[in-house]
Amino acid sequence: MGESEAPPAANYIRLQSNDNVKIDVEKAVAERSLLIKNMLEDLGPNAEGQTIPIPNVTEPVLRKVIEWCEHHRHDPPATNEDESDNRKKTTDIDEWDQKFMQVDQEMLFEIILASNYLDIKALLDVGCKTVANMIKGKSPEEIRKTFNITNDFTPEEEEQIRRENEWAEDR
Amino acid sequence: MSMTTTRPMPSAPNREDIGQTWEYLQNGISKIMINLQEGMDMATYMGIYTAVHNFCTSQKAVGLGNSGAVGQAHRGGNDTPSPSQESHADLGQAHLLGEDLYKKLKEYLNNHLHGLYEQSKGHADEALLAFYIREWNRYTVAAKYIHHLFRYLNRHWVKREMDEGKKNTYDVYTLHLYQWRTEFFTLVNKKVMDAVLMLVEKQRNGETIEHRQIKQVVDSFVSLGLDEHDATKSTLDTYRYHFEKPFLAATEEFYKAESKQFVAENSVVEYMKKAEARLAEEEERVRMYLHNDIALPLKKTCNKALIADHSAMLRDEFQVLLDNDREEDMARMYNLLSRIPDGLEPLRQKFEAHVRNAGLNAVAKVASDAEKLEPKVYVEALLETHTRYQGLVKRAFADEPEFTRSLDNACREFVNRNEICKAGSSKSPELLAKYTDVLLRKSGAGVEEAELDATLTQIMTVFKYIEDKDVFQKFYSRMLARRLVHSNSSSDDAETSMISKLKEACGFEYTNKLQRMFQDMQISKDLNTGFREHTKGLQSEKQPLDSTYSILGTSFWPLTPPNTTFNPPAEIQTDIDRFTLFYKNKHEGRKLSWLWQLCKGELKTGYCRQSKTPFTFQVSVYQMAILLMFNSKDAHSYDDIASVTQLTSEVLDAALGILLKAKVLLMKPEGEKPGPGKMFHLNYDFKSKKIRVNLNVGTKTEQKQEEADTNKTIEEDRQMVLQSAIVRIMKARKKMKHNLLITECITQIRSRFVPKVSDIKKCIEILLDKEYLERLEDDELGYLA
Repeated sequence: MGESEAPPAANYIRLQSNDNVKIDVEKAVAERSLLIKNMLEDLGPNAEGQTIPIPNVTEPVLRKVIEWCEHHRHDPPATNEDESDNRKKTTDIDEWDQKFMQVDQEMLFEIILASNYLDIKALLDVGCKTVANMIKGKSPEEIRKTFNITNDFTPEEEEQIRRENEWAEDR
Repeated sequence: MSMTTTRPMPSAPNREDIGQTWEYLQNGISKIMINLQEGMDMATYMGIYTAVHNFCTSQKAVGLGNSGAVGQAHRGGNDTPSPSQESHADLGQAHLLGEDLYKKLKEYLNNHLHGLYEQSKGHADEALLAFYIREWNRYTVAAKYIHHLFRYLNRHWVKREMDEGKKNTYDVYTLHLYQWRTEFFTLVNKKVMDAVLMLVEKQRNGETIEHRQIKQVVDSFVSLGLDEHDATKSTLDTYRYHFEKPFLAATEEFYKAESKQFVAENSVVEYMKKAEARLAEEEERVRMYLHNDIALPLKKTCNKALIADHSAMLRDEFQVLLDNDREEDMARMYNLLSRIPDGLEPLRQKFEAHVRNAGLNAVAKVASDAEKLEPKVYVEALLETHTRYQGLVKRAFADEPEFTRSLDNACREFVNRNEICKAGSSKSPELLAKYTDVLLRKSGAGVEEAELDATLTQIMTVFKYIEDKDVFQKFYSRMLARRLVHSNSSSDDAETSMISKLKEACGFEYTNKLQRMFQDMQISKDLNTGFREHTKGLQSEKQPLDSTYSILGTSFWPLTPPNTTFNPPAEIQTDIDRFTLFYKNKHEGRKLSWLWQLCKGELKTGYCRQSKTPFTFQVSVYQMAILLMFNSKDAHSYDDIASVTQLTSEVLDAALGILLKAKVLLMKPEGEKPGPGKMFHLNYDFKSKKIRVNLNVGTKTEQKQEEADTNKTIEEDRQMVLQSAIVRIMKARKKMKHNLLITECITQIRSRFVPKVSDIKKCIEILLDKEYLERLEDDELGYLA
């Protein structure tokens, strides 16, 4: 526990990752996470200065997430619950986010899980779109290859599935 | 921060074990529900959130994480599902796990609420109120926390349930409210409401109460208005049923009893004050601590108990208030009765009758001697009544249009049908026109411009009520003609202002002739300037006459040709001929006829022995002709004068009469009246205090004659107006039923005068005879072009 060290600077809060690394983040940036935003609101000034444990996220992932939050700090706040159909359907990703997501698959999935956990809707969307783009236009075999999946269907099963999904085939 | 307080929670539970997870969560929730005031640290908060998250994602997270990162697509079973089946199975799992948490939470809340209910039994009245509010506040704050902590459940499991249209699943906050309502509120709301009503009654009886408590109860009841079908919406149903209904019932009961007792012990005016105060108080009550939704029904309830139930008593008092000029109390009564439907109509009726009587009485007071009645006194009597009650309408009845209409009705009645108008309603417009003439005529007493205009505006007030506007028009135009011809109008501005007021009230047609009369005077002025230039250029041995001519269009001026023959004296004949020639050159084809009776001039004396400075006589042209004869001879016989001037004896006698009366001429032998056989001598010893002597004065009988003439022409003119209206209507319609024609005719004419049906029928007969109209079948009339 790091209770003895210097408190975070004004307007900063201190996060503690799963692997016990402490990271100071500007409050406004951290509040891109609805979880953190709600918590700070609920607990109010009484809880000021406390370190916030983030038990589900490791340091590298947390840093990555914070990087994204920094960049998007001035985005309009996520409209709670309300999903605009627009954002849901299109798989377009802005340039910075595309570069940001150029990470190995393990990191990509960790980011998706973390954003889901921390309740950062926009980041979760970007992550899912990235995965969707990796699948788009690929044959089952290519997809298996991409995600390193062993085909455990019997040929009969596979034929049946193809028949059931014939309507979706791109002709 | 000390180390000892940091870890009050057990360490994180096994994410896949609902028993362990719930035990962990319940520990945290209880802290929030019961001990939140002790505060909570971030570790605990994050612990609870994470436990919920981990529980909900336990299976799915393992599957997703493994397949991506480690590359093992299997979920353990030998029957590995396809991707689509896999995701479906995952959701199925999450479904069940979320439901467990949700159910456990609901169970927990129910337990908590049952406990509250047991505790509530120990409280009553204000203590119960305090208990309810305290627990409500604690509960809703906790609900907000738990809602956030269970956000992962809300985002996934609850959302999916709701998307799938499952009833009775709500987001976690709403779940709290819903459980409060079903498990606690339904059991205690009556007792709580009783306590509220008791407090309110205390306050109505003058005690000071802690009304913030009531406000909080209201807010709580409102929050519980959940829409069964759509959790995102709220309704006021719960609040209306459990709060408004009993509140309104108690209010009605209270005021019924109170007003009954108060009325028995106090005067009506006192009661009105009381009711006014109570109504204001209730409005304030809404502002202070009730929901705005109750404002209208509460107002209605109070209006009924305090006003409608006593309206008969209030109205009975109105006449008393009117008779005693109790303006403030009338305003009070107006305000009260205006709050209930149809409350004011009876007042308006009483008011109208009262004003009519007041007007009739005012006229009766000045009407004792109708013959000598001054127009001013009469008009002022009418105005005074109007002004007084218009003021009352403004001050006591909020200038309400309906009351103004009652006032107008009453005024129209007493202006057109009163003691002065017994003979006929034309007396009012006649007197009004005369008063206007008095105001607009040049007089010794100079009236300020502004004051004059104000008085003219008042004239218009009465004018508005006059039914026989054509009568006014007739008298007005005659008097205007006189003012213009004799140029004794007080000011052009005042004349124009009056005409524009009339135009505004009755339209262009009504004042058209009046305006043309003004134009004629202006044109005449220019014409005279031109004529003067013209005569200057002529070679003439004689000094030209200083003359002015007015050219008055026959159809615009209410003037008739002289009723006598006349031979103008030679002294002016030359000038007249010259002017006639000048005019005919300018306007070929126009006919000039001379209105000798309106002509006048001035003569300078050179014969008076008594005075060094010569006198100037202001005379009519008839008198001028007579006097000029004495330039050649000192005495003339009556017959001489008659033959030279060619005047009829009636006119001649009147002209001579004035000259004799003023002793300009002396008659021999002396006698009562001039006539044949008398001789007239110039009086060389004429005396007068003034240098200018006005001999051109009308006689009383002339005035009377004129009035009679005017009134006579009115009837004739009305026939013409009616006939032209009928022709106009028929020309447009071609065919029309007899009765409809009469109705239409009345509508068109009403702004001028109120035509009698019998007169219209007579006119239709005349037009049938003249073959403008024809009778068709079925009582229809047709237009013949």
